[in-house]
Amino acid sequence: MKYLLLIFKNVGRNLLRSLLTALGTMVLVLVVTLVWSILSLIDKATEEKSKDFKAIVTERWSMPSRMPFKYERALAEGAARENHPEDTRPTDSMAWRFFVGTLDNENRSFRNTMFGLACNPDKLLTMMDGLENMPQNQEDEMRGAVARLKSKRDGIIVGRDHLKNLNAIIGNAGDSTLQNPIGRRFKLTGIASFTGLDFEFEIVGIFPPGRYDNFTAFNQGYYLDTIDAYPQSHGKRPHVLADRNLSLFWLKVPNKDAYNRIVDQITSSPEFKDPEVKIETASSGVGSFMEAYRDLLKGMRWLLAPACIITLALVLANAISISVRERRTELAVMKVLGFRPGQIVLLVLGESVFLGLLAGLASAGATYAVINWWLGGVKFPIAFFDSFFIPVNAIGWGAAVGAGAALAGSLVPAWFASRVKPAEVFAKVG
Amino acid sequence: MTHSNTPIVRVEHVHKYFRRGSERVDVLQDLTLEVPEGEFLGLMGPSGSGKTTLLNLIAGIDTPSEGKVWVQQELISEMSEGRLAHWRTRHVGFIFQFYHLLPVLSAYENVELPLLLLGLSAAQRRQQVMTALDLVGLSDRIRHRPGQLSGGQQQRVGIARAIVTDPALIVADEPTGDLDSKSAEEILDLLVELRKALQKTILMVTHDPRAARHADRILHLEKGQLVEQAVVA
Repeated sequence: MKYLLLIFKNVGRNLLRSLLTALGTMVLVLVVTLVWSILSLIDKATEEKSKDFKAIVTERWSMPSRMPFKYERALAEGAARENHPEDTRPTDSMAWRFFVGTLDNENRSFRNTMFGLACNPDKLLTMMDGLENMPQNQEDEMRGAVARLKSKRDGIIVGRDHLKNLNAIIGNAGDSTLQNPIGRRFKLTGIASFTGLDFEFEIVGIFPPGRYDNFTAFNQGYYLDTIDAYPQSHGKRPHVLADRNLSLFWLKVPNKDAYNRIVDQITSSPEFKDPEVKIETASSGVGSFMEAYRDLLKGMRWLLAPACIITLALVLANAISISVRERRTELAVMKVLGFRPGQIVLLVLGESVFLGLLAGLASAGATYAVINWWLGGVKFPIAFFDSFFIPVNAIGWGAAVGAGAALAGSLVPAWFASRVKPAEVFAKVG
Repeated sequence: MTHSNTPIVRVEHVHKYFRRGSERVDVLQDLTLEVPEGEFLGLMGPSGSGKTTLLNLIAGIDTPSEGKVWVQQELISEMSEGRLAHWRTRHVGFIFQFYHLLPVLSAYENVELPLLLLGLSAAQRRQQVMTALDLVGLSDRIRHRPGQLSGGQQQRVGIARAIVTDPALIVADEPTGDLDSKSAEEILDLLVELRKALQKTILMVTHDPRAARHADRILHLEKGQLVEQAVVA
């Protein structure tokens, strides 16, 4: 205990230096905590599950995917053949049809553009990631929204960020769309390949906060009817998406074996040859999506984080070296009093690790509190990812990184401290 | 003061030299001496005469290049570094010219420092520390840090630290070198008192003839060799 007190008092010997060292440690631990948290989130998303996972079916050679409308029915069965009960069928499925529109076609901007999903409302509660395990109050709200969406053909469920933009564009002062969104109406004009598809929606619900803040969902029946009505006002020409409007198809499978059998069924079926489709697990789908960011993520994992840790070790090494040099006489006195070289090493290492551990813990803890509690998560700027939160075990990483870097950085100064020769020191001093 | 016939310190044909490149610098040359138990021995000589080096060899913080050093019948000149450190804690108290107290510790904690190596309980340590501080007259300054003490008071704390483990041998390297004459006299009187009360053997390096007068015997060194010894009347 007294030894710890000596370590603690030595850290307080030069408060300014200890504080600056701690601050440097905290900044570097912050970077490492953020990097590892992001990588942890991505690793989790790309991690292969062993059961109850989802598979995505998309066009093999084209992106964005536009599969024919006729694929939907067969895909919902996992390409299982009629009268073949031995064929494997998915436990659930969901068709996604994308739509992009603007609230103001004359002055298009990122802010007035909305990304929408035309789908079967029932599937929102069973097939959408993150919505399957909501807190009870959010689940109740979502169920109500889905019920209203089913009963209202032109209904739409919007994400919170879209709601804010809507409030700014169509809200009135004193009558905020944010406070009373249900029942508000707005128009969306299709853009890019959705040009010519114009909708008028009524808000029937709000997505829970998180990954769907920039999302909307509406009835696929309304979407398909609008596509079908297009020729009437466009010289009997069908819309470019008339036949090929199926963007993604999700399948829920109970286990890896079922997945593999469904893959065989779909890839061997003659129904999906023009265009060809590919099927992959959601995690590998995410992985493929992340391929574009591969070099960036690699750089973060293998360059940025290690560079920060090495820099941290050097910062602490520098601080401890200065401290050891300043205390050469003191260390010599301690040796005269009977402290062994090993005890001197432990003393120096103890000071460094104590400082590194405290600073690392404080940094990771503060990062956790600020990002998770104060900011409510940081929106990940990549589609379909939930807001990024710091996992609770990051607090442990921060402490470990701080302490570990301190230990590594102070090994050499500690060794030199243990080699101080009292006879040489006092020959100069005396 | 009568001394035991058994020498507490025996130095036999000790040489100490350093190498500076190809050059050999002799600090001590074929030195032999004995110190009876209970003696107050003064070591004097010009700068570079080897007196501090001799003190360091006897205190076990340096080892001779040749020869043997016995303290309390233990051959310390051939002990390993770790064993010497262990031995020093129990057998030697060192008093420095510049006190060398740890500035982050209080007077109490500075005196307690060597006791941390002995595996004593907190209560035992407290008893020994307070006894030592009482002996040097500083029991009312236990919470003061060195920066809050005068030079004389700091040296008293240094003396308390040197005696707290009850060593048989106390070595002092110019203990009054950084003090004014009044404080110096007080410190020397304290050393004499402690020697009498606690039956300690004291070896003191000094330049000051007035300090040397407090010793029982004075040894003069010159160029690493004993040139003269005198018994103080």
